[in-house]
Amino acid sequence: MTAGRALPEEAYAAALASMPKVGPAALRRMLADVPPSVAWSRCTPGHEAAVARIWERHEELEISVLTTSSPEYPDSLLGDPDAPAVLFCRGNPAAVNQCPTVALVGTRSPTRYGIGVAAQFGAELAAAGVSVVSGLALGIDGAAHEGACAAGAPPIAVVAGGLGEPYPRRHAGLWERVADQGVVISESPVGIRTEKWRFPVRNVLLAGLSDVVVVVESRHHGGSMHTVNAAMARGIPVGAVPGSIRSPTSEGTNALLADGAFPVCSLADILVALSLNGVSLPAPPLSLPPSAQPRVVPGPGADRQILEALSPDPTSLDRLARMTGLDLPALCGGLERLAQAGLARDVGGWWERT
Amino acid sequence: MKWWFARADGNKTPNLTDRSPEVHSQMLGVRMLSAIAAATLSGAVGRSVSVEVHVSNGLPGFTIVGLPDAAVRESRDRVRAALLSSGLPWPLRRVTVNLAPSGVRKGGAGLDLAMAVGLLVATGELPAACTEGMAFCGELGLNGSLRHVPGMIALADATAPLQLVVPLADLREAALVRGEAAHGVSTLAELCGILKGQARWPEPPLAPATSASSGLPDLADVRGQAVGRHALEVAAAGAHHLLMVGPPGSGKSMLAERLPGLLPPLSHEEAMTVTRIHSAAGCALPEGVLVSRPPFRAPHHRASIVALIGGGSWSLRPGEITLATHGILFLDEMGEFPVAALEALRQPLEEGVIRVSRAGGTVTFPAGFLLVAAMNPCPCGEGVYPGSCKCSVIDRARYTRRLSAPLLDRFDLIVPLARPDPDDLLSDIRGESTAVSAARVAAARSRAADRTASGEGEPPVHPDGTRLLASRLRAGQLSARGLHKVSAVARTVADLAGDEQVGHGHVCDALSLRAARTTVTT
Repeated sequence: MTAGRALPEEAYAAALASMPKVGPAALRRMLADVPPSVAWSRCTPGHEAAVARIWERHEELEISVLTTSSPEYPDSLLGDPDAPAVLFCRGNPAAVNQCPTVALVGTRSPTRYGIGVAAQFGAELAAAGVSVVSGLALGIDGAAHEGACAAGAPPIAVVAGGLGEPYPRRHAGLWERVADQGVVISESPVGIRTEKWRFPVRNVLLAGLSDVVVVVESRHHGGSMHTVNAAMARGIPVGAVPGSIRSPTSEGTNALLADGAFPVCSLADILVALSLNGVSLPAPPLSLPPSAQPRVVPGPGADRQILEALSPDPTSLDRLARMTGLDLPALCGGLERLAQAGLARDVGGWWERT
Repeated sequence: MKWWFARADGNKTPNLTDRSPEVHSQMLGVRMLSAIAAATLSGAVGRSVSVEVHVSNGLPGFTIVGLPDAAVRESRDRVRAALLSSGLPWPLRRVTVNLAPSGVRKGGAGLDLAMAVGLLVATGELPAACTEGMAFCGELGLNGSLRHVPGMIALADATAPLQLVVPLADLREAALVRGEAAHGVSTLAELCGILKGQARWPEPPLAPATSASSGLPDLADVRGQAVGRHALEVAAAGAHHLLMVGPPGSGKSMLAERLPGLLPPLSHEEAMTVTRIHSAAGCALPEGVLVSRPPFRAPHHRASIVALIGGGSWSLRPGEITLATHGILFLDEMGEFPVAALEALRQPLEEGVIRVSRAGGTVTFPAGFLLVAAMNPCPCGEGVYPGSCKCSVIDRARYTRRLSAPLLDRFDLIVPLARPDPDDLLSDIRGESTAVSAARVAAARSRAADRTASGEGEPPVHPDGTRLLASRLRAGQLSARGLHKVSAVARTVADLAGDEQVGHGHVCDALSLRAARTTVTT
């Protein structure tokens, strides 16, 4: 039991946040000018046992509590009017202040295109030493973190519910990985079930923690638009990934582009936006992207013939076989050699020229 | 209580209370009991049955005991009508038929003939000696004709080594397993004449000329589809299970229907197995009775699990997977099959047999089939072509969730199919015919068989191919099981091309033949 020892200020902060009917604004008011222990004794004198119980639970779940006076409290939130007075973290809270941060957000029901783009940017950003911030939701958020967890800068997740149990359940594994390599942050105290109003609040916090916000795929009125509005209100640059004009999941992003968001077509676009925003970037990645490698165009022969049959649009093997007149083992072998040379790419059985 | 009055002679109505001495002595003079050998079908196997007929004094009636089903109970009406219309006497006495062994349920109309013969022996119309060493199977028509009985091969097996009398329509089937010991007759009256020694067994009808593969759809009808054709050849040459993933209209079903033509004809042993099963299941047999082509079974996706894997309450019947033995089981729209039905396929795919267990007993059916499945990549159907799918990830996940990883692991070939090229569709050039492809498949199979027979083992894969496989393994794009499958497929591809060694191109080809795996697992 912790009854014997004095409770830290964070314990009182956690207890205050866990009080019923205390929202983010009330908490901010209560903690505006006094330390948490004083605020606690002001509203409910005594009840130390309750504070101890709550604190014990946080220690059990390895959840750290940050107040605005904690050294690990995110620097980017310090001047923020909507900054939460108390933050709950699983993982390494210092990860937030380590690297430049880019939010990758988007719809919960994306297309494969969106999933692929999110995972690609997630991985590329992490490898380039930029922390990926996202919401661990299904769809784009999850894909971005899947990519970011592969290697590199610590991932940062901002979730809506309490840290006691992962939500959505399907991402429990990803949740653990993010907590291992980076940090999972929430404004909600432990034991709070995810309520509807907490998602927009989470989205605002997510924007506040990021140096740049990139929307990968979103519908016209998606939750990502909360993040975008919060980012714009704070002067954080917003980028959007262009999508098909026929895809409903790209309606929001295409509209953002029309409204002046910067287009994100490659990692370089995001890095440029970061540096324009005055963020100093870590050393550039060591390996050059494949496009920068020198290309060796094969000499005349079957491979040359295959290369000429390829186009930037995905082409089926059937069509390539028809155009080149080669049998399939020869054609597949040639395509593989072209892929090795960086001249062709396999997209789920279709081939395109790079 | 039921009453039957014989009016065969037209004018005599029996007086039951006041019997004349003539009638009485006629009754005492006859043999009272007979036992005739027959067989019934229980699931896919025949079970020998002894049909005992007892005729005694008492109120005229006809009772069948020994667990008959509805069809057997109705025999009494058919037997009576058949006897009367054949001009044979019907005893105005108490008739009891027992089907021994009495504890086993009997079904079907195949016992009609044995009952009729037993009755004739019991009433003295036929001498008992003439049915010695004989068994009878056949359904009777009301006019005394003999009709086809399903499962004749299994029935004939069960009656060995007795001489077997069957309807003429079933003679070829019975003769397949019993040869000269099977005799066919067309009517009950004819049979009586033969048994009394007044006539001889009729000549068996001439076997029709068997046509090897006529009537099968030809690959020449398929325009373009180089990958689809190639996948069929590889599947046929190496017996690799094939899953085709393509949008509606990409010719998945059309290709699958043409696969049986590529497979070599069944060996005699295989043909006998298949014919036995098909006969027992009541499937239509070909003209020449022996099923010499690999069967092609395409159950609808709403088929029940029992229909697929076999079962039933007391007679355990073979299911579609057993009917597809030594042939092809084609699951069109695999994404629409119930999950439980698909999962039930896993064990037979692994072991080649299916054990069906019920409270009444357990049977093991053969289930060694080539699984060919077709599905759309996603609900909208367009998902194979990059960037054209309009489905959300959740919809896609819901669609592909039915296919568990262990089930997908059973497929060596997961081939993405595109819609045929418009140029191919409109051109007049017909594709390669089935005969050409089948010849290549046969050559590849014999090459593989020679290698197995020589015992030398497979020549090592070319270093280029090994390097490619190693890089895929290291990148995590290939599992250990996947490596095994790709190697096996690459070997088949090399056999088809006539190459001794598996080269870089063969490995690439094998990899491209499972390219749609990513489509159906995301």
